[in-house]
Amino acid sequence: MASDVVREARARTRAVAPPAGREAARSLDSDSQAWLAALRAHGVRHEQALARLHALLLGAARFEVARRRATLTQLSSAELDDLAHQSADDALVAVLAKLDDFRGHSRFTTWAYKFALLEAAVKLRRRPWQTREVALEAERWPDLADAGLAPQARAEQSELLAAVRRAIEEELTPHQREVLVAVALNGVPIDVLAERLGTTRGALYKAIHDARSHLRRRIGAEGFSLGSGARGGKR
Amino acid sequence: MTEPPSTNVEELLQRLLGPAGPELGCEQCFEQLDRYVELELAGVDADAAIPGMRAHLHGCPACDEERASLRALLSRAG
Repeated sequence: MASDVVREARARTRAVAPPAGREAARSLDSDSQAWLAALRAHGVRHEQALARLHALLLGAARFEVARRRATLTQLSSAELDDLAHQSADDALVAVLAKLDDFRGHSRFTTWAYKFALLEAAVKLRRRPWQTREVALEAERWPDLADAGLAPQARAEQSELLAAVRRAIEEELTPHQREVLVAVALNGVPIDVLAERLGTTRGALYKAIHDARSHLRRRIGAEGFSLGSGARGGKR
Repeated sequence: MTEPPSTNVEELLQRLLGPAGPELGCEQCFEQLDRYVELELAGVDADAAIPGMRAHLHGCPACDEERASLRALLSRAG
């Protein structure tokens, strides 16, 4: 573990207040309580807890790397392991910074794992795009002639798709259009787009959510029935 | 994961139009992810316990990948 990560982590836990609220503390399982107590302790106990937590996070990050390895053939084993270490380091800092937010709704280890998985997943999504351009204009609309559909179904989908394309042009703000097209049509991972636009996944998803609401409203007004999914037809 | 999107029209329409109904945002999803997955693995109705989570996971592939990873990791860890 990099020594500066340990130092930063140590500084953060020292600044952390004791467990926030009696209600939260009451609901913690014994293992989670032990984790929190050790991370808030001083001296050797604290050092050992940090090392154990880092090892736990590194294991989770390596797990994520292994799950995605088939899509990352351009990276060597050493590069992938380095990425897992970076993810574990970043996750350790994030976990310690958010320690007071842990409310015991899950085991502490489950809560900590998600930070490592997030860090690793985001890094792994971004890596293949480091040298690729991100297209914000529509790159390809599918050719329904190749969809293998019966004529009636093809006609219905063609009509719906045309309505959606019109709605994208006419109902969305330029930002909503760019984000939705890049992510949903061009296949740009949302974390890649967030990095390029200097924003967050959450902010981009909000734009996508709003865009989808506008599209659903418009095509509903045009007489298409969508139900809970996206398979639709004229009412 | 990082693969080109399918050109299947129905899947494309799903990606463009997303889930119907209310859903959580990405930050809320992350906050609830550990609880949601533990409930899933315990056989509890996680969707009833955390309304809007399932819809968000349908609409956000990145969050859903992380849910799948956490579930797989916990399943492996036992």
